[in-house]
Amino acid sequence: MRNIKQWMPAVGYSWAVLGTALGSLLLSPLHNLVDLSNVALLYVLAVVLVAVTYGRGPAVLSALFSSLCYAYFFVPPHFSLAITEAQYLLATVIMLGVALMVGHLTSRLKRHADYADQKSTESTKLYELSQALASATTPDSVIALAGRFFIDARLARQVRVFLPDEFEAAEDPVTPALLKKCVDYGQLLSRPLGAGHFYAVMPLTAASGVQGVLGLEVEAQVLGSEQAVEYIETVASVIAVAMERSFFAAKARETEIKHAAEALRSSILSALSHDLRTPLTALVGMAEALALGKAPVERQKPLLEAIRNQALSISQQMTNLLDMAKLSAGKFELNSDWQPIEEVLGATLQQAEFQWPSRKIRVSMEPDLPPVNIDAVLIERVLWNLVENAIKYSPDHAEIEIGVKRSDEHIEINVCDHGSGIDLSRREALFEVFQRGKVESEVPGVGLGLSIAKTIVEAHGGRISARNRNGRGSCFQIQLPLGNPPVFDEMDDRE
Amino acid sequence: MSEMETILIVEDEQQIREAVAMALESEGFHVRQAGSASHAAVQAATHKHQLVILDLGLPDRDGVEFIRDYRAWSSTPILILSARSEERSKVDALDAGADDYLTKPFGIAELLARVRALLRRRQFSPNDEPQATLLFGEYTIDCVNRSVTRHGQAIHLSQIEYRLLAFFAANPGRVLTHRHLLSQVWGGQAVENPQYLRVYVGHLRQKIEDNPTQPRHILTEIGVGYRFQP
Repeated sequence: MRNIKQWMPAVGYSWAVLGTALGSLLLSPLHNLVDLSNVALLYVLAVVLVAVTYGRGPAVLSALFSSLCYAYFFVPPHFSLAITEAQYLLATVIMLGVALMVGHLTSRLKRHADYADQKSTESTKLYELSQALASATTPDSVIALAGRFFIDARLARQVRVFLPDEFEAAEDPVTPALLKKCVDYGQLLSRPLGAGHFYAVMPLTAASGVQGVLGLEVEAQVLGSEQAVEYIETVASVIAVAMERSFFAAKARETEIKHAAEALRSSILSALSHDLRTPLTALVGMAEALALGKAPVERQKPLLEAIRNQALSISQQMTNLLDMAKLSAGKFELNSDWQPIEEVLGATLQQAEFQWPSRKIRVSMEPDLPPVNIDAVLIERVLWNLVENAIKYSPDHAEIEIGVKRSDEHIEINVCDHGSGIDLSRREALFEVFQRGKVESEVPGVGLGLSIAKTIVEAHGGRISARNRNGRGSCFQIQLPLGNPPVFDEMDDRE
Repeated sequence: MSEMETILIVEDEQQIREAVAMALESEGFHVRQAGSASHAAVQAATHKHQLVILDLGLPDRDGVEFIRDYRAWSSTPILILSARSEERSKVDALDAGADDYLTKPFGIAELLARVRALLRRRQFSPNDEPQATLLFGEYTIDCVNRSVTRHGQAIHLSQIEYRLLAFFAANPGRVLTHRHLLSQVWGGQAVENPQYLRVYVGHLRQKIEDNPTQPRHILTEIGVGYRFQP
């Protein structure tokens, strides 16, 4: 494209001369048959054609050369530039005048049409850019789209955006001073790079201020064209608005996270002050009764056991609080590995048996379940929380049932109890932080277990839900996605 | 117990140290106490101990480093005490040569049970001599003929299953990390592939446990490794 455009004028001038000469030669044998005024019209037509195709310069040349050819080939005496009669001279001059005028008007019309064409292409592209920018949500994606646009439009060879906090560290081809000057002047500045190239910087200014500076490596002729510079300015303003919007969006997300963290912090404080202070008060009271010798001998042992249990339960709640704080701060990494779910479940059952030796837990597990890609420590935490809840919220003699099976693309684990069931209207709220099945409950806890479970299960791409059983009691279900476990050859291993 | 067994407690929290010492003394053990790693090093060098109870979070030195140095010259069992914030160093400590761990807060009953298990193991093989026959539960492992029997009936195990089981049985009561088991049973190149281990532990449980989901012998220490219970 660029080559053709570059050679356009030369081609135009050549055609203006050669075409006219060739036409004149072809037509000259007919000079006796065709009327002189018709011939003049033919020349004017040729000028118009040149003007339409190649523009003003070639059209003027064509007009001048046409009038010469007209005089030479057709005005008597033929094949001579001499003009013998005044009326022929007048005709030639008029032809020249008309050709010049028509050529000029035509070329101007053509220029307008070309300009309108170019403008419409540019607006279409600009429209497409703004549409693409509308769906860009981060400053980085805005910058990437902008870069692609300039390069696709052949306006620049290289594009980058300097963000305000990068100004100081800016290096070749720009300098911190150049960027600062560009922002202060609020206009396009450039410096030569050699080989006909320039580095142009342009502030990206939106309503809330300068979003950054656009840096473009451009050809000299782009900067020479007022139109191109104007276009770059328009594009820059579109980019600036998009950057501003994406910055605000990012800030809004940040604020939202901060609010959530703030809410969590205040809930933790209220939990600490109420749910932990009550058992601590009991703890202090019991210890003091013993220390001051106020407890009769036969009651001392149960009192000491109560102190131990109370302290252990506070420790458990502390662990939950710390875990929740860690999980909700988003500071945890899944340490996943492919492993059989029964191993994780086995660890939970082992722990439950240690803590509640007389409690019956029935497990039914589908045979040959594939391994799952999980963080064993965290999933064990989830299972423990569910089993602990089932035990805490159902009568002492009631059996706990755990079922593990495959359903479609998931492994499904159900932990069911024979307790009083859950309030279905609060089913979703159960999994929120500091929510408990009952507002005032005699069972100790601060309502973190299920929200920890939910956070962990969802981090694994799974789901957790609760429902009531047909009889009495409730079931908590977790679903963990089954992936494609790696196949490994079981190293040379003979029986 | 003809000779009184001596236990060294290394813990910087005085109250915990004293509570542990009190419990151990009431069980008839002789106890020495150290509040820092440097003090512990002096104690360990000048007296003979049958067990070391070591808190990982010491003020003057990393507990894992202490274990590495100690293991260079002594095979005395080490029971580590770790807080929840030291979960990762727990595995490092076991890899460095510790034998078992307890997470704070722990119960005294649990502590005493672990101490007894570790001391019993010492009595089994006082000089770490390999034994020709290992016994656990209803099983007998004949290390010469590489066979396993239950009530006299042979159990069919593959080569690797046998090696794994024999290694477990030779280290009763001890927490064996994934890394440790992989390097001992498979060799060095396998240590980054814990799934091998899981698969074979699964096979082994199918063959020797009555209820593989609730194992009696090969217990899972989640995120750490396995513990073999005879």
